[in-house]
Amino acid sequence: MPKKILLVDDEAGFTQLLKMNLERSGSYQVRIENDSLKAVETAREFGPDVIILDVVMPGMDGGDVQAALADHPMLRSTPVIMLTALVESSELPSDSVAQAGENIVLPKPVDINLLTRAIEEAIV
Amino acid sequence: MNLGNVDIIEAVMDNLPVGVFVKDASDDFRFVVWNKKQEEITQMSAATALGKTDEQLFSKEAAELFRSIDEDVLNSGKLKKIPQESIRTKAGKRYLRTLKLPMNDPTTGRILLVGISEDITESVETQKELERLSERFNATSRELQETQNQLFQAEKLDSIGRLAAGVAHEVKNPLAMLLLGVDYLDGGIAEDDPNIPVILKQMREGVTRADSIVRGLVDFSSQSAIERKKTRIRDVFNSTLLLVKHELVRANVKLRLGIADGLPSVYLDVPKFEQVLINLILNAIQASGEQKKKEITITAQTERLKNVDPDEGARTLRTFRENDLVVVVRIQDNGTGIDPDNIDKIFDPFFTTKATGEGTGLGLSITRKIIELHDGKLQLKNRTDEVTGTIAEITLPTRLGNTANIKSPKSKTEDSD
Ligand SMILES: Nc1ncnc2c1ncn2[C@@H]1O[C@H](COP(=O)(O)OP(=O)(O)OP(=O)(O)O)[C@@H](O)[C@H]1O
Ligand SMILES: [Mg+2]
Repeated sequence: MPKKILLVDDEAGFTQLLKMNLERSGSYQVRIENDSLKAVETAREFGPDVIILDVVMPGMDGGDVQAALADHPMLRSTPVIMLTALVESSELPSDSVAQAGENIVLPKPVDINLLTRAIEEAIV
Repeated sequence: MNLGNVDIIEAVMDNLPVGVFVKDASDDFRFVVWNKKQEEITQMSAATALGKTDEQLFSKEAAELFRSIDEDVLNSGKLKKIPQESIRTKAGKRYLRTLKLPMNDPTTGRILLVGISEDITESVETQKELERLSERFNATSRELQETQNQLFQAEKLDSIGRLAAGVAHEVKNPLAMLLLGVDYLDGGIAEDDPNIPVILKQMREGVTRADSIVRGLVDFSSQSAIERKKTRIRDVFNSTLLLVKHELVRANVKLRLGIADGLPSVYLDVPKFEQVLINLILNAIQASGEQKKKEITITAQTERLKNVDPDEGARTLRTFRENDLVVVVRIQDNGTGIDPDNIDKIFDPFFTTKATGEGTGLGLSITRKIIELHDGKLQLKNRTDEVTGTIAEITLPTRLGNTANIKSPKSKTEDSD
């Protein structure tokens, strides 16, 4: 069974390309949500194994979405990977992938191999 | 001719308000008449001058010039006006307006040259002083213009600093698309993979987007004196929104854009007008603060001016007239509104209600100045509907005022609407 990934990002072009990349290996099934306000609803319906969240989005930003997910018993424990194009390197953990668990933050542009590794580590 | 008449003639001569002199052309142009006023103008007495030639009395160059004019007058037999000539005297340089005419003395047969000189030193000097003053005025106004441009530029750099993070973010998204595209293609391409055209299209779009953002920033940051070109309002909005998009998203502000169709073109300096819009939009975003549903509405439409206050626009070069067709841009927010106590101060340079580092207070004063350079008008007022907030209203003329800073379009096709 392919793992389910929910992609929440307002950038339609970016999500489309990311979905193609992730689904290519056959190990993932990707669902796109470009409207962050609908992220929780889509997540409930889709039941993802991991959620990839953009940080800066109109409506609700990545942090808001994460907080809303945490309010949900069903989604609370779903691992979240944050993607951010914010420039300050201080906002990124030094060894981004190694520390699995709570909050994985990856920079945008994201290297697909790095992201795949982060996904694998998050799912375990 | 009796003695009495000679007395009268002499008395008249000496009371004339102009210098009169007569030279005897048959005798090397020696002076034979030199009246009182002539003594005063030249600071030389009749006793000194009579019997002498120009060469003996004046500088070599002056004497040569006088002689050539004298000969000219005698040869032509006609009166000649010399609007301005100068001589050196003990009291300094004097400017003269002189009339010269040839005359025959019927009794002696001598050929005479009669000159009448008016001292115009004072008016020439006044004129010169005026010229000096106007030159200094021009220099000062050039300097002011220069300073103003530098001020505009400084303020612009300030907002570029504020926009930079957002612009970088906006560039990174297209870059992210490119990288994903490359990653996909890197994984090997099956000939019938339906994703390939989609990926190439997205990559191309990414390049275009990154390019237009970077270019927008470069255009915006370019420094130049104000230069207006026929421009479509919609184009300026498009380029501006690219630069502030990220600020809007980050502040979670919803933007509604209502630009009327078929707006007439206006004459704009595009980077400067972008600066205007950026300042007003940033103000609106900053005022939105804690508001729950932050919303900025930008509209542009034509209107006919009604009830124009004759004093209004007196600040600008050109006064708006009743019934003028104008383009009105309104930027409306649902933020804090402006404290009525501050409404008269917001255009003052350095007036700010923002924390240090957040606002310099230069935004609105520079924004208004730029709009005035476009013969336009900027007003800020609080909303009067049930929502609090502020409306910034820009009124732009659709016909040209008396401004010199218009750049004529390079080609006809450029401004076809
Ligand atoms: N849309 C608005 N809503 C409420 N108040 C406003 C608005 N626009 C301007 N003001 C008020 O006018 C003041 C002056 O604005 P101005 O743009 O000149 O300076 P600033 O925004 O404080 O600083 P800067 O523009 O240099 O960053 C602001 O500090 C604010 O109090
Ligand atoms: Mg401001």
